[in-house]
Amino acid sequence: MKKIDARNIIKNFGNLEVLKGIDLEVNEGEVVAVIGPSGSGKSTLLRCLNKLEIINQGTIIIDGETLVDTDAKGEPKYASGEAATKIICKMGMVFQQFNLFPHMTVLENLIEAPVNVQKRDVAEVTKEAEILLEKVGLSDKRDVYPRKLSGGQQQRVAIARALAMKPDIMLFDEPTSSLDPELTGEVLKTMRNLAEDRMTMVVVTHEMGFAREVATKVMFMADGIVQEQGCPEELFTNPKNERLQAFLQKVLH
Amino acid sequence: MDYIISIIPQMLLGTVDTLRLFFVTIVLSIPLGVVLALGRVSSFKTLRTCISGYVCLLRGTPLMLQLLFVYYGLPFIPVIGIRLDDFPAAIFAFVLNYAAYFCEIFRAGIQSIPKGQYEAAQTLGMNYVQTMRRIVLPQVLKVILPPVSNETITLVKDTSLIYVLAMNDLLRTTRNLVQRDFNIMPFVVAGVFYLIMTMVLTYMFDKLEKKFSVYD
Ligand SMILES: Nc1ncnc2c1ncn2[C@@H]1O[C@H](COP(=O)(O)OP(=O)(O)O)[C@@H](O)[C@H]1O
Ligand SMILES: [Mg+2]
Repeated sequence: MKKIDARNIIKNFGNLEVLKGIDLEVNEGEVVAVIGPSGSGKSTLLRCLNKLEIINQGTIIIDGETLVDTDAKGEPKYASGEAATKIICKMGMVFQQFNLFPHMTVLENLIEAPVNVQKRDVAEVTKEAEILLEKVGLSDKRDVYPRKLSGGQQQRVAIARALAMKPDIMLFDEPTSSLDPELTGEVLKTMRNLAEDRMTMVVVTHEMGFAREVATKVMFMADGIVQEQGCPEELFTNPKNERLQAFLQKVLH
Repeated sequence: MDYIISIIPQMLLGTVDTLRLFFVTIVLSIPLGVVLALGRVSSFKTLRTCISGYVCLLRGTPLMLQLLFVYYGLPFIPVIGIRLDDFPAAIFAFVLNYAAYFCEIFRAGIQSIPKGQYEAAQTLGMNYVQTMRRIVLPQVLKVILPPVSNETITLVKDTSLIYVLAMNDLLRTTRNLVQRDFNIMPFVVAGVFYLIMTMVLTYMFDKLEKKFSVYD
């Protein structure tokens, strides 16, 4: 079952063509790692998937439901407000900068949207949130405000907050890039556990070790184009694309 | 001492006028400032331009001039020319002026919230109203508390400008007493009265700021 089916995504910022016709297919339980030099459009691709950016052309189907399609005139047509929101809520997003709500405690961060957007029962959501906090190893921080936490802890709370919405898919945009090196491990471990639980994931990352060990598929992007993709073994040991070879040279040595 | 006690009732009466102007101005200018600020950060360019013009005009000219214009000038304007009594005229000028200041404070507050907060809210499915009410405004409130506190204390003192409209506020009452009795004691008492009002406000805002500092 295809969880993400994005075809021919074109995205421009003014005159700058950032995505020049990207296809992305992710099956249930797959972990896709997106790698590539900075500025190649990796974040933009993720942000298009959950409508943080409006595409210029293309089709995005999430879990069988059409978020956006392009009509005969080449204009993108998005699902209406409520339908789009429902589709967006199928995807959890984890940002490089965590983006926790600083005026809410850890627990309040987790239950905010399930209670106020999904209109679920507070007691039930709270119980689930506590289980999620246990999973990410932060049970003792439930009543603490985000500023009191380390970067690694904040990012784990952000992951738990996204999971509290019971998403089918998790999107990660360089989740460890703003962490001190000694804190990346705990976040990567949380993501590894998620992958073992068969969560469908798209991960933009510079952690080649993670891409190699956890991903089921690796996608290399440069200049707004998917230059090469395949299983990690093949792609890392036997890269065919010249830009990928150069990129791996740089990041692995 | 006896003299001071004898003038206190009259001075309290003047204080009532001062406080009336203060409260009505606060209650009307803050909501107006919020609406203006939301317009100021909206995506409608014409609206944004109009509001910045308004803010520029009202912050760029003296409140005293605006007060005199509303009271003496408005009646001469064709078509809308209306003559306002002194209290409504004072309210009108003060609210317009203070809304402009509050608009700027709120705008800066709203713009201090990082884009990531809106994006996180959006990916969690929150709509505009939910995002504003639950995520943005509570954080804005904390940021704007100190400048709002400042502005509010300034307003207490600015109320004294209405003595030019011959209203019997605290300052005018004081001046009348000084001239009648050839005694400068009323000035001292008036100073104490203003000081008490601003100190009460300072105390209240300090309490509020402490309440909002829990998440630092
Ligand atoms: N909101 C924006 N407005 C204009 N240009 C943007 C915007 N966001 C990204 N870009 C540009 O698009 C290109 C791709 O950016 P991004 O997707 O962030 O790359 P990556 O995540 O691969 O480093 C960059 O050149 C960047 O400057
Ligand atoms: Mg990026």
